[in-house]
Amino acid sequence: MDNVLDIEKIQELLPQRFPFLLIDRIVELAPAQKVVALKNVSINEGFFSGHFPGRPVMPGAMLIEAMIQASMVMFYSGQVSAVGRKPLYSLSSMKAKFVYPVFAGDQVRITVTAGKSAPGAAMVSAVASVEGKETVRAELIFRSEL
Amino acid sequence: MQDLNTEIRDIIAVIIEKKPEEITPDARFFEDLGVDSMMALEILAAIEKKYKISIPEEKLAQLTTLNQTIAVAKEYMSQTNG
Repeated sequence: MDNVLDIEKIQELLPQRFPFLLIDRIVELAPAQKVVALKNVSINEGFFSGHFPGRPVMPGAMLIEAMIQASMVMFYSGQVSAVGRKPLYSLSSMKAKFVYPVFAGDQVRITVTAGKSAPGAAMVSAVASVEGKETVRAELIFRSEL
Repeated sequence: MQDLNTEIRDIIAVIIEKKPEEITPDARFFEDLGVDSMMALEILAAIEKKYKISIPEEKLAQLTTLNQTIAVAKEYMSQTNG
């Protein structure tokens, strides 16, 4: 299997840690253009104890967060900051369509593609799928600042 | 063309969370209406989607008023229509 960035490399790029690091592997990476990330959803995820007892459905907000983290890998991998510091990206707004739920045991494939950008702002299209079936698609707009 | 002007004004109103009547033809987006670069990107993307056109991001700097935005949209709509 392709393994462009393993979990150690991902942790070098992203500040998020357990229990909030929501991507496990990057299998495709075109810096600043496109990234494909995998998230293996285990029954041991903390949120499943309450969402929902007896029916482990991954919260949509967590899937959006996984898309955000995949986007950050795409942004950071394409950048060598002139001032030696990574710009900070934060979500400004988004539109999402939740098509099908994600359950414990699923492997989510998140494809993120860069859209238009402006000084201080960047747009991203993201699609999450499980075994080829689309689960979420979203348009995210990020604010970036040094 | 009144419909197009109204449509574009209403698209902008939703994105920037203002009443449509506040968006006068020459009100300045950044100075008068509090539009930021994230909203400007969203306006551009919404117009592209609505009218099935593609506007290069270099044109973002020209989206400074409703009138300017309509002019940019029309420019690319006429290109699409041949």
